[in-house]
Amino acid sequence: MDIVRFEPNESEGAGRALPVSSLPFFFDIANATAAKGVCRKKSALVHAAAYEIDDGDLLELARAGGAIVFSFSDVLAERGFRRGIIISKMRLLLAACRKRGTGFAFATLAKDSSHMRSARELAAFAAVLGATDVEMKAAKKSIVRLAGRGEKPERPAQLSAAKAGK
Amino acid sequence: MKPTERFKRRYISFSLSAAGKPPLYQDAKELVHSHFLSFFGESGVSSLAFKLVKYEAATGAGILRCERSRTDEAILCMACLSEWKGQPARLEPLSTSGTIKRL
Repeated sequence: MDIVRFEPNESEGAGRALPVSSLPFFFDIANATAAKGVCRKKSALVHAAAYEIDDGDLLELARAGGAIVFSFSDVLAERGFRRGIIISKMRLLLAACRKRGTGFAFATLAKDSSHMRSARELAAFAAVLGATDVEMKAAKKSIVRLAGRGEKPERPAQLSAAKAGK
Repeated sequence: MKPTERFKRRYISFSLSAAGKPPLYQDAKELVHSHFLSFFGESGVSSLAFKLVKYEAATGAGILRCERSRTDEAILCMACLSEWKGQPARLEPLSTSGTIKRL
């Protein structure tokens, strides 16, 4: 399941892409200050364009059952050294999410159909950021649940603990 | 060299289009090589065991080779291509295999 910034029709994969306009709990935040209010909202999907969120806000978001969205469009928009910086910031934020038990999701947030990517490409994006197979599955479940009903996502830390218990 | 010391290879089939049509062989080679070099750098390309194995200009289909443990990076690199010389371009990975025959 993908999240996009336009209204996809049938030929553009309407079945597997959700427009942002249909997600009332999706929030774009520009900086760390703006994140404070948003992270307390229940089951929020938060996209931070700068990929800089305080650990305290991540904890709040984890308690509220929300998730951080990692957007592939942010990588596509940059070139060269700046692309390297944004990937590095994403890696650090993913590690912080893992440490604080915050859910996360991967999406293209494409502005048109040419910027949409396949599931395999999104999986490769997640793997390069450092997500494990278990976390990728949890991320997929998170995005389906949050997009569908606004329920709490499965946290990667809980999944790992459950798996270790078996 | 012993087989265990060699690079473990993976082959990725892809579909390439630039400005809505498949580019000619020389253009495709330049595009793929410059894009991988830009993404990985010289050191990265050398450790990636990268090679453009095959490309058919008529269909835009091709095969490239990479190191097994870095398949995800190679696929991400391919996904990161969105334009070339001011024209929209797409390098879409189709399938991955350990042998060319099974692609």
